[in-house]
Amino acid sequence: MPVSTAMPNRVIPVLALAALGLVWVLDLGVVLPNRIVAGTGYGLYGATGWAGAFVVTALLLAAGLLATRPVPKRFPVLAVLLTAALMFLPLLLEALATRRLPADSAYARIGIGAGFWSLAFFLALMLTETMHQLKASRHLQLTAALLIILGWWVCARREGLGSLSLLREYNNQADQFTQALSVHLLLSLGAVLISAVLAFILALAMVRRKSWRRPLLGLVSFMQTIPSLALFGLLIAPLAALSEALPVLQALGIRGIGWAPALLALIAYSLLPMVRNTFIALMEVPEAVVDAARGMGMSERQIFFQVKLSLALPVIIEGVRITTIQAIGLTAVAALIGAGGFGTFIFQGLGQAAMDLVLLGALPTVFLALAADAVLSALNVRRAPGD
Amino acid sequence: MIELKGVTRRFGETVAVDGIDLTIETGEVCVLVGSSGCGKSTTLRMINRLLPRSSGDILVDGEDVNDIDPQALRLNMGYVIQSTGLFPHWTVARNIGLVPDLLKWPARRREQRVNELLTLLGLDPQTDAARFPHQLSGGQAQRVGVARALAGDPNILLMDEPFGALDAITRELLQQEMLRIQKQLNKTTVFVTHDIDEALRLATRIAVMDQGRIIQHDTPEAILRQPASTFVENLLGSGDRGLKLLALRTVGEVMERHPEPRRPASDTTGLNEADSLRVALSAMVWENATQLPVLSKAGCEVGIVKREQLLQVRP
Amino acid sequence: MMRVWLTPVIWFALLGVLAAFLPAMGSLFSWVQPGTDDLVYSRDSFYLLLQSHAWLVLVSATIGTLVAVSAGIFVTRPWGRDFLPLVSQIASIGQTVPPVAVLALAVPALGFGEKPTLLALALYGLLPILRNTLAGMDGINPGVLEAARGMGMSPAGVLFKVEFPLAGRVILAGIRTSVTINIATAAIGSTIGARTLGDPVIAGLVNGNTAYVLQGAILIGLLALATDSLFEAVERLWARRSLAV
Repeated sequence: MPVSTAMPNRVIPVLALAALGLVWVLDLGVVLPNRIVAGTGYGLYGATGWAGAFVVTALLLAAGLLATRPVPKRFPVLAVLLTAALMFLPLLLEALATRRLPADSAYARIGIGAGFWSLAFFLALMLTETMHQLKASRHLQLTAALLIILGWWVCARREGLGSLSLLREYNNQADQFTQALSVHLLLSLGAVLISAVLAFILALAMVRRKSWRRPLLGLVSFMQTIPSLALFGLLIAPLAALSEALPVLQALGIRGIGWAPALLALIAYSLLPMVRNTFIALMEVPEAVVDAARGMGMSERQIFFQVKLSLALPVIIEGVRITTIQAIGLTAVAALIGAGGFGTFIFQGLGQAAMDLVLLGALPTVFLALAADAVLSALNVRRAPGD
Repeated sequence: MIELKGVTRRFGETVAVDGIDLTIETGEVCVLVGSSGCGKSTTLRMINRLLPRSSGDILVDGEDVNDIDPQALRLNMGYVIQSTGLFPHWTVARNIGLVPDLLKWPARRREQRVNELLTLLGLDPQTDAARFPHQLSGGQAQRVGVARALAGDPNILLMDEPFGALDAITRELLQQEMLRIQKQLNKTTVFVTHDIDEALRLATRIAVMDQGRIIQHDTPEAILRQPASTFVENLLGSGDRGLKLLALRTVGEVMERHPEPRRPASDTTGLNEADSLRVALSAMVWENATQLPVLSKAGCEVGIVKREQLLQVRP
Repeated sequence: MMRVWLTPVIWFALLGVLAAFLPAMGSLFSWVQPGTDDLVYSRDSFYLLLQSHAWLVLVSATIGTLVAVSAGIFVTRPWGRDFLPLVSQIASIGQTVPPVAVLALAVPALGFGEKPTLLALALYGLLPILRNTLAGMDGINPGVLEAARGMGMSPAGVLFKVEFPLAGRVILAGIRTSVTINIATAAIGSTIGARTLGDPVIAGLVNGNTAYVLQGAILIGLLALATDSLFEAVERLWARRSLAV
């Protein structure tokens, strides 16, 4: 049955009620006396006073209620309302800072509480559902996401949020952060690039030679099964031995730990999705199309580049998307063997029990993965036939 | 008997079925015919409550279907669809035994029934019973679909374009089978199709539907002779209406019967009593004959059909 | 029938034997870590770590499967269908988040230890199962469901006799993916205080003892391969049962 605009929406009210419950029960934020010591939590009312509590509660109730009413244009209104709410969400933390932060302590800072994250998460879900009801184009969805990022960026630069511990942590480590970013991108994208070339060669070999298919696919999926930590670990000893034996490698910086085993392992993991997708894509080009191309007098070379490859490209790009997301995550693990990247902050933070340092590593990792997903999906949509 | 009184079905803003009245007598084959989107499948699916109706009444043997538990209602209505809907993970035998199983028949009786139906539908109980749906041809799969619908010995049979996905030859074969089985079992049948030839062939009465309404509800012959509107005329097609009319009658109905069966002349082509007049005419044109003998199954000549008799079907 | 189980049995036997006898094989590791007597990780027995690691994965997979399949059923029924688009979007966006980030984010929210690890594993592990449950249900020929209901099967009958058997293979593949990811993620769980086979690896990395690293890595790899071959066997058995008698 087609969803008529007049039908009451049940999803948004459920999400709004869940968000309302969580934001009142959980701590919105924490006031910490310094970097390590546990702080005092404040709920919605405690953190923002009656004005903030009223705004949040009213907003959630209004959104839930609006979704159930057969008002025309309710979803466009909801989309604007929810996007705006998400954009200015950090102001709640600013309210906490102005109200509860002891003015005399230079080390005191504001931590983000579970209530804030829950609110952000449920608002995002409500916005997702609204976008679905609107049948919003990718363009519109991207615009909303960028607006929200812009909102948070503007909020973060305001004086009031200077005491946010995440920002303090960032300011302490600004140089390391930039370096971690470049290492993280270099490692993961480098691995994707190298494995893409390798996978293309392997896939071509598999297309040409039937007998290579099973052993090659078996090998790459075998490597995918081995847990990352184990593979990183297993590469240490042989690489260390190689580096001992060959001074050339040592000069290049290839050792048992560091970027070399990380890159090798990342390439090994990237091969399966790349090889599989490239192979399937090349094999699944309809025989009739190739036949027709041949019949029109195209050479094999022309057929490969102009017909097969361009028809296979969307599936290949999908493989690149999966691989990139995976590589970004695995690069974070590679910090354990000294490869650098955002994982360094995560594991340092875990070691020092400094939660904001953990966040400083984990949040950018998540963000990179989501961004890679968005970019590569968009690329594929644009390439899809018919556009 | 199935009665529809002012039945309406709305999907949001659109009206799929618009206040139709239709009575289907016990034992008759009522064919709902019309182009896609005319509401014929929707009507069918409201009878076994796969779709709720928006308003109106649907009675089966005087009882409102909404007062009957939907599962119990459907167990007493065989249901055949175009895609067969056979369970791919079950054998043919288990598929056919589904409704007897739901009715909790004892295993022996169920097994017996499955074999009986396989034979009735021209399948082999020895080899076909243990096969899986993906091992069957399209025609065989639909035979199993019909067998499954008949398994619980329902009073009513609902068929939604059952032969629509088959090739022309298989379709015709299954239509013949259906006529044979219907003669044997006399199920009250509601049959949905977009193929007017299929409708003319199988129906006791045809209901022509367009935009959610019934345009005409009558016997195939009456519809051919007096189409109620240009829509019905277009549906029938003007090019071969005469031939369609001929297809409705059999040779047996118009032949001149000999008092005694005779030995036929050795080299002439003969017709069967069950052949349609359309077949007879085609044979005469081909043989360039003004009359043809009618042969019995044993090969004796039981009568003759003359060309002018065929041409007088429309008075 | 028995031959299907042979490969997983061999893998698990190898795993068990190594877990028991690695301490006795210390001298073998002297070539990777020359110049020290400290060749075998000894803070906990490998056997205990293996047990704890497997238990974490098993419990999280069970919770994940139960939650994901229930959610999958809920959103494919008429009364829950409103939630289908949102839930399927959560399942696919959620899988974009790296597992190590989920593990790391569990600490600020829940603290250190076994329980946060378990929760993070269950939460992240349910996503592939959920996605596959939805894909499996969606992949069933609508004609089959229409026929099932039209023949008079009850909603529960349709679910258990038709939908589950037909979607089962895809759901099983989802559980396999989920368990593979979770074995790897549980190993990293060592860094947030769960006791797993990742412990020797982390300890080895911190202390510069490659022998430790190797011992942990070998056992984690074996556990993953053994579990994977177990799923392979189950999948093969399933395929055999559902296609031939």
